Amino acid sequence: MDQLRRIWPFIRRYRWRMTFGLICAMAATAAAATIPQILRYAVDDLNTRGIVLDQLLGYGGLLLLAATIEGVLRYGQRTQMIGASHLIDFDMREALFARLLTLDQGFFNKMHTGDLMTRVTNDLSAVRMFLGPGVSNLAGSTLLIVTAATLMFLTSPLLALVVVLLLPMVAVLFVVIGGRMRAIFRTVQDQFGEISTRAQENFSGIRTIKAYAQEEAEIGVFREANERYRALNLRYVLLSGMLWPIIGLMLGTIGAFVLLIGGRMVATGELTVGELVLFNAYLAQLGWPVIALGWTVDLYQQGSASLLRISEVLQRRPAIATPPGAPADFIVEGEIEFRDVGLRFVYEESKEGRREALAHQHANHTLEEHVPHPGAPEWVLRNISFRVPRGSSLAIVGATGVGKTTLVNLLARVRDPDEGQVLVDGYDVRTLPLDALRRGIGYVPQDTFLFSVPVRENVTFGRPDATEEQIEYALTVSRLSNDVGQFPDGVDTLIGERGVTLSGGQKQRTAIARAVLRDPAILVLDDALSSVDTHTAAEILAGLRELMKGRTSIIIAQRIATVKDADQIIVLHDGAIVECGTHRELLEYGGRYADMYRRELLQAELEEE
Amino acid sequence: MSSAKYDDDEILGKAYDATLVRRLGGFVIPYWRQLAVATLLMFGGAAVELAPPFLVKQAIDGPIAARDPAGILPIFGLYAAALLAAFGFRYGQTYIMQSVGQQVMVDIRTRIFSHIQRMSLAFFDRNPVGRLITRLTNDVDALNEFITQGTVALLGDLVRLLFVIVTMLLLNWRLALISFIMFPVVMLATGVFQRIMRAVYRRVRQRIARINAFLNEQISGVLVTQLFNREERSRIRFAELSRDYLAAQLESNRTFAIFFPLINFLSVTAMALLLYFGGQIVLADLATLGMMVAFIQYTDQAFQPIRQIAERYNTLQSAMASSERVFRVLDTPAAVVDPEHPRALPLPVRGEITFDNVWFTYSPEATGERPEDSGSLASEHEAHVSAEDDWVLRGISFTIPAGQAVAVVGATGAGKSSLVSLMARFYDIQHGSITLDGIDLRELRQTELRRHVSAVPQDPVCFSGTIASNIRLHDTSISDEQVRRAAEIARAAPFIERLPGGYDYEVRERGSNLSVGQRQLLAFARAIAFNPEVLLILDEATSSVDTETEALIQEALERLIHGRTSIVIAHRLSTIRHVDRILVLHKGRLVEDGSHEELLAKRGYYYRLYQLQFAEQVKSER
Repeated sequence: MDQLRRIWPFIRRYRWRMTFGLICAMAATAAAATIPQILRYAVDDLNTRGIVLDQLLGYGGLLLLAATIEGVLRYGQRTQMIGASHLIDFDMREALFARLLTLDQGFFNKMHTGDLMTRVTNDLSAVRMFLGPGVSNLAGSTLLIVTAATLMFLTSPLLALVVVLLLPMVAVLFVVIGGRMRAIFRTVQDQFGEISTRAQENFSGIRTIKAYAQEEAEIGVFREANERYRALNLRYVLLSGMLWPIIGLMLGTIGAFVLLIGGRMVATGELTVGELVLFNAYLAQLGWPVIALGWTVDLYQQGSASLLRISEVLQRRPAIATPPGAPADFIVEGEIEFRDVGLRFVYEESKEGRREALAHQHANHTLEEHVPHPGAPEWVLRNISFRVPRGSSLAIVGATGVGKTTLVNLLARVRDPDEGQVLVDGYDVRTLPLDALRRGIGYVPQDTFLFSVPVRENVTFGRPDATEEQIEYALTVSRLSNDVGQFPDGVDTLIGERGVTLSGGQKQRTAIARAVLRDPAILVLDDALSSVDTHTAAEILAGLRELMKGRTSIIIAQRIATVKDADQIIVLHDGAIVECGTHRELLEYGGRYADMYRRELLQAELEEE
Repeated sequence: MSSAKYDDDEILGKAYDATLVRRLGGFVIPYWRQLAVATLLMFGGAAVELAPPFLVKQAIDGPIAARDPAGILPIFGLYAAALLAAFGFRYGQTYIMQSVGQQVMVDIRTRIFSHIQRMSLAFFDRNPVGRLITRLTNDVDALNEFITQGTVALLGDLVRLLFVIVTMLLLNWRLALISFIMFPVVMLATGVFQRIMRAVYRRVRQRIARINAFLNEQISGVLVTQLFNREERSRIRFAELSRDYLAAQLESNRTFAIFFPLINFLSVTAMALLLYFGGQIVLADLATLGMMVAFIQYTDQAFQPIRQIAERYNTLQSAMASSERVFRVLDTPAAVVDPEHPRALPLPVRGEITFDNVWFTYSPEATGERPEDSGSLASEHEAHVSAEDDWVLRGISFTIPAGQAVAVVGATGAGKSSLVSLMARFYDIQHGSITLDGIDLRELRQTELRRHVSAVPQDPVCFSGTIASNIRLHDTSISDEQVRRAAEIARAAPFIERLPGGYDYEVRERGSNLSVGQRQLLAFARAIAFNPEVLLILDEATSSVDTETEALIQEALERLIHGRTSIVIAHRLSTIRHVDRILVLHKGRLVEDGSHEELLAKRGYYYRLYQLQFAEQVKSER
């Protein structure tokens, strides 16, 4: 019932459609059930030789008529009932996607992308399979079985009893063997997973394998895993290979009993040959519906498990949303204040830190599970307070993984602080309407994410109504104009696998153009120039400075050259602000910042050699 | 990479390619006996399936017509026997075919895996792991379909159809001809249906692939969508894609809604034809009533194989596409190969390494030009890609006498890792020579070379298995005692002994239940256990290592390089202080060479590099 409550809102819309399908199914059943009856009279007439050619033609015509009517009605049943399931599928997919779009990062960090994908695709189609073929079979089969059984009882109760008692065995066999098959199949799948894990581990660690000349031994291990898989699979095949033959045997046996008992009855005159043929014809008609009933049990089990997983997403409420009573017409002006902000370490957050760390290492690295070792600090950042007046700029520097990204993420409420407050224009961001808050912020994230759509669409992502001049300007500021000019279709070139592959720097510059085009009150650059060469970075910064006059900006960077002109610079270390001031002040202070600067100069010198 | 994963809709080619089938045949031939048995069973099955309708005829025309109830029992017995036999034949055939398929899959998979094992690292640089896994899994599965569905089963359909036709002709040619009227119609209907469905299915698959690609991208980039207030537009776009998919689904549904009732209708039409024309034949005493009843069943029996033959076409098509991909992997020649007549190293191996004017690039086919797939590398080199940047090493020469510990230093991209990879012959060089004890590496067998030259990779790799198996790998000649000693020397023993189960502690996939530092120590223990004459270490200063482990690693590293030829890519101050000699690389050239003190005194490139990379550590030591 729980299932029904979950799915009813989606079915409701199509209840008349489904009802119409059901009516078609009923009428089709009636038409189908007449065919054996026609056959019976024809055969009996033939047998007694009391028939003329015209009558024979009449029987043939009746058969064709019944079959035509049944065919048309089955078409109606299928298109209405199964068609409805596709429409429900469509509605649910839309609802799922809409829900996903509102959910917060906390949710996405916990769920694997693959898992979410599965829910929107495989789980959804499992639900659809039950609603469509499942329900349609259930209705069609039940109707036909009941009708045929009734008609058979009217003809010969004894023979009908034989059929009605034996026939359910087919469905039972299907469910039992099918269930057993699924159980074994799971172990087969596990072993298969073992094989691909083995291969995956081997290919990822191929350097080590080769360094210690372990190739032959690895092949041996792989072969063994394969042999185990084969052995398990044979157990599965032993069962699956039996399924259809045994169902054939079962149906055949019923036919044999009908022949034996029915034949004797005909011989003793209790039954006519036509009636025997009628039983045979009903048997032939009932074979598939009975199997389908068994299949429906299967579909129901899978469908309800999947429905549960879908409901988990649909019923999930976003942790970050516009609060009730937020001002409707809020426009960000650009003053920022962090007041005693504290952020607890959460497992999910570590993924970000790792990615950051990995970006600086080699490319063929694999992301692995992060296990927070015991004794890791509970707080990532604590007691963070600063104020960025409207129109000024703030730079944040600090080592990889210190929490810079997490900190600026609080501004657009990607996450909420565990302690303290983040204020924009004097209001706690948690009291503001989410869309207005985000509309006021131009964000260039550290992980540049571009969509596989044309450059233009990526750039106008936050401003779909931008004019040609505005786009041109954004491209100029982000120093992307030249690159775009060299693309095959200019600004309309597709990005990604099917179009041009952008370099890291080009990606970052596209992301900057995207943020700039929003004309935001607050611009956030999170390590957004790391892949851009020094010279271009300087040009972009100069352009931005012009553009950001009177606007607020926050810049996170690894390079001092990028941050040195900021009105305020803060240095994060060990969860706290350790230095704060202008470039000049911090150099005079001679702390971490000064060290970083010195090393950067040395590096530049080395590069020049 | 997101879109391709889901949008990889197969480009279907021919359903039959003689060359491919011949090569596939090579995998199946070893099991010809099983195949022969399966074929026999298939013939048997096709034959006994003909019995039931005939027995029904016998019953109706015999005992039933003669009003002899007792006479039905023997017919019932035969009927039951035929059913059992049919069950046995079908089950046996399916089981044998499936087991052959499984065996062939093991063979093909092992063959692909072995082939991939012998590829050089350049192959792995080129092919992402995911793609290789797909070859081993999905593509091999498609080949299994080919064997189980495409060979004996296809033959079976043809034989069954043929048997039914012949039997009908033999029993009563007049009735047979009436039944046959519908066969071409069914064939045509199924053929047309298959053709339409293929197109419809492709549309369905393409559209769901598009949805998946979009969905994957949207989920990965959901934050950007949210931050840029694009939810509404994404929803609209998704609805568009979803609606396209819906249209294709409804089309497919409609096609089925026409086809299934149509087939049913055709079957009833066959019945009506038999009734009308057959009835006349019965009335004319040219056939019995039982015969006509039997023919209604035979006609139905013939419908099934006709329909299946059309369906098998799709299976064949995708199997051909898969086998092409599989053979492409199998046909890739190994880049680093053993010589035909390998030389043996003079024993005992001393471990003297000489580089003589070594030039090396990762894209040998285009020396001096940009690598073919430079797009993916562009991010790292964006600022300074020039034609000659392709040479990673440019004329490097040096000799490391046996037993000397050497550190290689240089900025990122100077060629340090490549230098070390070449000593283990992970790649082949383009010019010059590298020798071990005076013998060119290319004249040695790779296994022999690597028994004496071991590389500890930069990213310490662990495999699922026990701690002990991670140290000795598959080398059973390394005793438990040696494993333990190696762990002690590598300073890994303390942490191992604290683990539940100690050396039998189960390491999870990729060592995810060990810390980075522990994995590093384990990698060192592995190197010691194998006790090579020459040791190559790509040392990585890992930020996620706590100070205690860091001290252990330093100590282990010193013990490791002691007393054997060792080349370390150094990131640690302690390391460069403990080696005998330092090679300084800059942009693929050897710029300085000498001891730490000498080089510092020179106040050259090394001096400044030292300031940059190690000065911080000097300070923190103070």
